[in-house]
Amino acid sequence: MSMDNPIAVSARKVEMAFGVGEAKVVALKQADFTARRGELIMLVGPSGCGKTTLLSVIAGTLTPQAGEIEVFGQRLDGLSQEALTAFRQKNLGFVFQSFNLIPTLTVIENVMVPLLIQGTKHALARSKAAAILEQVGLKGREESSPNALSGGQQQRVAIARALVHEPPLLICDEPTSALDKDTGAQIMQMIRDLSRSPQRCVVVVTHDFRIFRFADRIAEMEDGRISRVIDDPSTLEIQPHL
Amino acid sequence: MYRLALNMLFGDRAKLAMLLCGLSFSALLMAQQTSVFFGIMSWTYTPVVNIRAHVWVSDPKVEQANDAKPMRDTELGRVRSVDGVAWVAPLHTSFLQARMVDGNFKLITLVGIDADTFAGAPAELSQGRIEDLRLPNTVIVDEWGAQLMGRPVKGPDGKITNVPLKPGDVFEINDIEARVVGICKVRRAFTGGPFVYTTYDRAKIYNLGARRTLTFMLVEPATGVTPAELCSRIETETGLKAWTTDTVIWDWSERSLAKNTFWWFWKNTGIPFSFGTAVALGLFVGIAVSGQTFYSFVLENLKYFAAIKAMGASMGVLARMLIIQAVTAGLIGFGLGAGMAQAIGRVMIEKGMPPFVMYPQILFATLALTMGISIVSAIIGIVKVSRVDAATVFRG
Repeated sequence: MSMDNPIAVSARKVEMAFGVGEAKVVALKQADFTARRGELIMLVGPSGCGKTTLLSVIAGTLTPQAGEIEVFGQRLDGLSQEALTAFRQKNLGFVFQSFNLIPTLTVIENVMVPLLIQGTKHALARSKAAAILEQVGLKGREESSPNALSGGQQQRVAIARALVHEPPLLICDEPTSALDKDTGAQIMQMIRDLSRSPQRCVVVVTHDFRIFRFADRIAEMEDGRISRVIDDPSTLEIQPHL
Repeated sequence: MYRLALNMLFGDRAKLAMLLCGLSFSALLMAQQTSVFFGIMSWTYTPVVNIRAHVWVSDPKVEQANDAKPMRDTELGRVRSVDGVAWVAPLHTSFLQARMVDGNFKLITLVGIDADTFAGAPAELSQGRIEDLRLPNTVIVDEWGAQLMGRPVKGPDGKITNVPLKPGDVFEINDIEARVVGICKVRRAFTGGPFVYTTYDRAKIYNLGARRTLTFMLVEPATGVTPAELCSRIETETGLKAWTTDTVIWDWSERSLAKNTFWWFWKNTGIPFSFGTAVALGLFVGIAVSGQTFYSFVLENLKYFAAIKAMGASMGVLARMLIIQAVTAGLIGFGLGAGMAQAIGRVMIEKGMPPFVMYPQILFATLALTMGISIVSAIIGIVKVSRVDAATVFRG
């Protein structure tokens, strides 16, 4: 992973369609997208514009039908499923809209999952998970059930889980949609702080205009492609669909 | 990761309880029904167990131990003359009606043994002495028979209780007195009726209508001659049928009377089909309930499995997680089911009804089938998880 290249994520002329015949839906049309190291970039746009599809392609959970995807210097298009799985394991952290914390596991066990997937020993995984939980302000809640936590606390656990294996790319899908305004702002501040490293890049898909101020750049999507990129979000005029 | 897989399983107690119910019920049904089946089938060759001898000789047309095709008494001499025979004793068995003091009739198995040697006599008497069989008109009845042939007595509270036969009591066989001089402990008969032991000569008197009374001959091989070897010689030299008497199910030889009896009942009765149906039912119920429950467990956790998949877990890791969950549930279910089967069996053995024989092989087979159910359940889950798209985690 070369530090000379400032580009963390690059998608060029990506095409993706679902279904066939009359049911065919074109989700991405020659979409181009770039995210830089050390930045937090938001992907916004109306429902059905292709945000989630582009996010899935960047995350390596969907293989595009055409185009090139490069993440921290690694071409993803053309990789086998096994290679993509291995790539995700090492390089990606996920924060999901509905947290996706496993309710039958404790908080610390949830955070340990990415490390255990990598084959880290149980004891080491536990200590690393405890350390990151302390960082996100959840010391003392390690053995709690996720269901016993507030929405904000659950999202903190999700962030801890996304970062425990120190991935360079953090993918956040609607991280504040289940949170109130203040908690959402706290979570976004935390994510923004985490993005401030040349080894990291954070891509956030959101509809929540209240958090636009945390972005370094905002890429607006429309009809399967990036329609514009706003370099200074403070100048952004809030659009109704956003 | 596998420890977390177990925590996922144990964390959902309602699902786990349902899963264990299905698996343990299935294991219980399979182990218990198979044990009762083998118990009942072990009763079919009860005469071989009760009447102990190394070699039995019968009419060549006899197919099993409860089959009586009497021979002439002169056959005793022919068998005695075969090289390798140490001694031969006559044995009579027949089904007769016994009339009790209260006028009731009972179907009994009359066993006539040699009065000189008492070859074939019961191994253990709980009351009386075997030698008393040499007294006129005397019989020894087994404990179960003593209960069946007991007489009802009205107590001071008006309650009627059954008083078992005891030495000194009398009943009739073919209008001839039979005085009880002993109570013996033997394994119960397949027919469920009492065993009544007497001497061979007196058996002829009790069974007056029979033209021939020599049902079997009990033979002891001379030193250095194996039972199987002696059987061959007897069959070659006399044309009669000779049997070995090994009764351990996995040690049965081709000539085993117990084995031939077991398979005769297997082929000629509906018992195996009936019990086989119950065992198959257990298996199908297990697969249906456990498979369904495990599938719903997987469905409920599908979004988490998808999330784990997105985080970079290979399908191999996920498959092993599901197998560990299913196999663990299977082992616990088997333990509970087999334990319950043992507990029920203990009660059955104490009550003596129905018979219950749990061979280690039954437990191993039940374990294997329960594991099979678990693996099928796991495979159903694996197929579902393998089809889930990791990208679904971004769809809310």
